[in-house]
Amino acid sequence: MFYSWVRRSGIGFINIGLLYLTACSGGERSGGRESAFQVALLTPGPISDQAWNATAYHGLERIRDSLGASISHIQTKTPAEFEENFRQYGTKGYDLVIGHGFEFQDAARRVGPQFPKTLFVTTGGEGTGPNVVALSFAFDEPSYLAGMAAAAITKTGVIGGIGGTELPPVKLGFEAFLAGARLVRPDIRLLVAYLGNWDDAGAGKEQALAQLNQKADVIYQNADAAGLGVFQAVRQAKGVWVIGSNADQNRLAPEVTLGSVLIDVPHAFLLLARQAQLRAVRGPTIHFGTASDVVRWVPNPLAPAPPAKVLAQMDSVRAVFAAGGRPVVTPR
Amino acid sequence: MEALLIPFLDATIRTATPLAYAALGELVTERSGVINIGMEGIIIAGCLGGLVAAGAGGAAMGFLGGALAGAGMAAIFAFFVLRLRADAIITGTALTLLGLGLTGTLYRGLFGLEGAALGTPSIAPIALPGLSSLPLVGPVFFTQTGMTYLLYLFVPALAWWLARTQAGLALRAVGESRAAALAAGLDVQRLRWGAILFGGAMGGLCGATLVLAQVGTFTEGMSAGRGFIAIAIVVLGRWRTVGTTLAALIFGGAFALQYLLQAAGWALPYHLFLALPYLLTLILLAALRGRAEAPAELASQESWSRA
Repeated sequence: MFYSWVRRSGIGFINIGLLYLTACSGGERSGGRESAFQVALLTPGPISDQAWNATAYHGLERIRDSLGASISHIQTKTPAEFEENFRQYGTKGYDLVIGHGFEFQDAARRVGPQFPKTLFVTTGGEGTGPNVVALSFAFDEPSYLAGMAAAAITKTGVIGGIGGTELPPVKLGFEAFLAGARLVRPDIRLLVAYLGNWDDAGAGKEQALAQLNQKADVIYQNADAAGLGVFQAVRQAKGVWVIGSNADQNRLAPEVTLGSVLIDVPHAFLLLARQAQLRAVRGPTIHFGTASDVVRWVPNPLAPAPPAKVLAQMDSVRAVFAAGGRPVVTPR
Repeated sequence: MEALLIPFLDATIRTATPLAYAALGELVTERSGVINIGMEGIIIAGCLGGLVAAGAGGAAMGFLGGALAGAGMAAIFAFFVLRLRADAIITGTALTLLGLGLTGTLYRGLFGLEGAALGTPSIAPIALPGLSSLPLVGPVFFTQTGMTYLLYLFVPALAWWLARTQAGLALRAVGESRAAALAAGLDVQRLRWGAILFGGAMGGLCGATLVLAQVGTFTEGMSAGRGFIAIAIVVLGRWRTVGTTLAALIFGGAFALQYLLQAAGWALPYHLFLALPYLLTLILLAALRGRAEAPAELASQESWSRA
């Protein structure tokens, strides 16, 4: 009886129900009343990646804890989803909607003008208007310092970089990494590989093993969750090092991590949210560099420090960045 | 040359192992005349099931947990498709989405934002005494994990079972002609339930192998398309056990080559390397084009709704 009813009424409904369940599982809401300052975050990947997305979620939590904001987070994958969710939050009257990544830029530009009361922010890229703002991180500055540290410790003169996809900030990070390394050791060689996604930890590990086989002995990973596979490959090998990115990943595998190229996203988000609350955001693009302490090279205290000469060199380079100087890189 | 060849072939076997588990599971399901395109959701469930069970009872328990999680997902599929007679393609798609969403939510619930980190119990490769010292073959085929060795035993066993046993014959008969199988007095529903659950358990083992024998950690979405690749492998393998295993090896090889070429530092757009496994599939499928060998019932949605 039940089955025949289901059949007649169209089983499609049940399937759609499953889809809906799935679609909703990524989103969650917490926080106070409707009148509160409302902040939403869209991440391009899972917030359990202990890297790019995790650090954004920590930033969102900090906004909630420090400013009493009501927060919402959703994980999105495709550009169509970026736009749809921007629009959803705009319709609900959110004050601040953050798309966490360069890839959200186009969606923000399209949706922004339709919801002038909502501030749309992308981490990365360029802002275009009063309510379409970009946070620009000078990711290349700490990457340059990481390259100097890598060049000081490599024995083979071959270093590696593994990225998720070739987003401009990722590519620029590797270019600066090489430029910094060349400053210390001009004959150094950099192997760059991209996985084509940010989730496949299996591919991350195999790609790292392939680079280690090509004599790389320091690998700079910028592949979010898939980067955990890079850590695993380096842990298995002997006498090789990994460099973390975006979050402070030194704790993940302290015995093999040279340091992390950190973007202090929580700090940047809080600064942004404070200004947004006061309606005092000065866009269209807000730059965070070494001077703001939002981006920095965090050496792992358990790893051997570079020789004093290199350390002094790194200090003077950092001072140049803090004073507004920029790394000089040659595009690959 | 050997310095390049051995790591390449080693990576080929390592990458092909989980693919082969999923593809052989899908093969058995399809031989019963039902296509389960929800393999992706099954694999990711196997990844998480393996992680959780391994945390509770060690790596061996992890593989069991992965297989059970995969079979559980497959049971949902079988219930909808065989019992409620839902469309298999839509149900399979929903299963994939359910698997990816549910594992993400459960993972965060169980492990919090810090995740399982890198301390997952895992199994290390074992060099088989004697065999592993053979030149070339030894380091490639006989210094792998237990899951690869299990596959060496499983492939001939499955080929024999499908070709020579009454149960194997019955399964294939159901896949070729449901009507004839019914006329012969076969329990079509039961055989298909069995084939789907078995396929799910194998998909779950694929996931557990990824977590416990290959990567040593879990990440959301780490199945990364392997479920769909498994379906392609079955087509490329012409629905045969040995063919499917070889097709899994070809895919493993294509991925390993992709890693190697990128690591070699060639200044070509990386998209070309990433596309390599898929280009190869298209070329092979076109080259091997010939008599259609798919189980006849696969094409007949009507047959599912009358089972």
